[in-house]
Amino acid sequence: MPLLEIKNLKLDFKQGDKMLRAVDGVSFSMEAGETVCLVGESGCGKSVTALSIARLVPTPPAIYPEGEILLNGSDVLKMGKKELRSIRGGIVSYIFQDPSASLNPVFRVGNQIKESLKLHRPQAATDDEVIRLLKLVGIPAPESRIRDYPHQMSGGMQQRVMIAMALASEPKLLVADEPTTALDVTIQAQIMELLLDLKKRLGMSILLITHNLGIVGDIADRLAVMYAGQIVEMAPANQMLKRPLHPYTRSLMGSVPKLGHELERLNAIPGNVPSIGFMPTGCRFHPRCPMAKSDCSQKVPELVQVEPGHWVRCPYWSES
Amino acid sequence: MSLLEVKNLKVHFPVKHGLFSRVKAHVKAVDDVSLTVESGETVGLVGESGCGKTTLGRAIIRLLDPTAGQVLFNGEDITRLTQSELRSRRRQFQMIFQDPYGSLNPRMTIGQIIGEAIDIHNLAPNPTARRERISNLLKDVGLDARYADRYPHEFSGGQRQRIGIARALAVEPKLIVCDEPVSALDVSVQAQIINLLMDIQREHKLSYLFIAHDLAVVEHISHRVMVMYLGHVVESAPSKTICRNPLHPYTQALISAVPEVDPDSKRKRILLPGDVPSPINPPSGCPFHPRCPIAEARCKTEVPALREIKPGHWAACHLAGESGASGAKAPGPAGA
Repeated sequence: MPLLEIKNLKLDFKQGDKMLRAVDGVSFSMEAGETVCLVGESGCGKSVTALSIARLVPTPPAIYPEGEILLNGSDVLKMGKKELRSIRGGIVSYIFQDPSASLNPVFRVGNQIKESLKLHRPQAATDDEVIRLLKLVGIPAPESRIRDYPHQMSGGMQQRVMIAMALASEPKLLVADEPTTALDVTIQAQIMELLLDLKKRLGMSILLITHNLGIVGDIADRLAVMYAGQIVEMAPANQMLKRPLHPYTRSLMGSVPKLGHELERLNAIPGNVPSIGFMPTGCRFHPRCPMAKSDCSQKVPELVQVEPGHWVRCPYWSES
Repeated sequence: MSLLEVKNLKVHFPVKHGLFSRVKAHVKAVDDVSLTVESGETVGLVGESGCGKTTLGRAIIRLLDPTAGQVLFNGEDITRLTQSELRSRRRQFQMIFQDPYGSLNPRMTIGQIIGEAIDIHNLAPNPTARRERISNLLKDVGLDARYADRYPHEFSGGQRQRIGIARALAVEPKLIVCDEPVSALDVSVQAQIINLLMDIQREHKLSYLFIAHDLAVVEHISHRVMVMYLGHVVESAPSKTICRNPLHPYTQALISAVPEVDPDSKRKRILLPGDVPSPINPPSGCPFHPRCPIAEARCKTEVPALREIKPGHWAACHLAGESGASGAKAPGPAGA
């Protein structure tokens, strides 16, 4: 049984009398110990998909009209409050983009980590355990650091504290939502190295949400690229990075400048990401697609398996 | 004569404390920076947050008053001009800001935003000429001329950044300081704006001072790249050279940390320990020595000067250019 199985997840936001669909039929699964990356631009639905795993999207305004999220075999969307509380932290933990906004500014970081321990492993809620966790995430001199307030730490240190807090409950799945976007490149490299190291040492599953295709290569086993609320391509990481098949994935890779490559012009994708509520008909990428055909605006493409493990939502994927 | 010449520029901010706001210390945001920008050239300025790159950009066009040093624009020192003299000179240098949401007045239409600059400098003799000029500017940046009557909230981030560019272009400047112009944008839109900036440069023979933290973006657009660390320029070279052959250990680490899409090109990643130190109390000697993988004893005491190690390639490191040290080889630290 996979650790996480999302089946045909749909998520609407109610605005007035209109229903805006943010996630439209997302399905994927994760085995224990596997790392999956969800890649996409802002507004593609990657974050709300990830937040749905522990039902962290408030309902209302959100409504789940269809779909299942099976975590360890039981459906999160049908759980009561008590059950939800046991899986939050117990099975799945989160780290977010902006660590300074996620930590409570008026409590010492040691106490904030201890709070997580008290809830999930009460017998281990000691200073020694907090120090062990801080050491695990690579904070120097943790004995003195546990008495620090968040503002006394740098952004990179704060993100390490967030990771320590997430790990305190010994979750099976760590969801990292843009964990390095707010950090500088050298600090980003440190945090990615830490996640890679923790993945190897603790054998946890990681679901990494990012807009940056560059950081996924080292850590991801599988990649799923999202566009406008749908998965458009899913494949083992190496396979997709070497040979992307969907025109969106290809354009996305072509539009980032690469260091040391002499290139006069970047292959920019024309136009903008469609806004929720104004989705194009047919294939949602067709207005921006360099190889769109006349019928792309009518036929809605399905996500099909074109090679073992490689799924693509484009009928013309082989013409490149 | 260079279009822009900055000589030994310093920007220090006082840190005040206590009842009488006594000045306790100074944040040396920019400390002794010199640079030149030729006409038609793009100079890139990279560094992590807090390294002083934005402060430098703002001090150059005098949105901030520098503590010491000179900014020569076409040979004239603009740090000594009065406000009214400065206003007339501002036609020649403009700025594009990072946040396309914060930098446009939400109560003004696009036409008013762009037209304001035209009015200040009296660039349009009559309303018809003014209107025509605005629609041409909008067309130049790839927007529909009809957008002049709309308000900023009706546009996406990428479109707003185009409006910001049109506003800067409205007064026909010679230099544009671009402060992180693409970092708030989505990846696919980033490329559009970078292409647009390069097209405009070719058409209007502009110079850019391009400030960003993303080395790959800076390398792509710039002719010359300067790397800043804690208020100092630590390396400066033509952009192709700096990527292929970085001399300063900080630049080497920055380059190795740039995310790489291609899974086969396994660049050796140099992980720098620790964080950027506080600019209030910078380390003695070389400001980079506490994080440097190849630091020696003298790095703790002697401040390295910015030296020309190869023609056109400057670095502020005692060990740069020495055989066996950091040098020309592929980045690979010799023991921490």
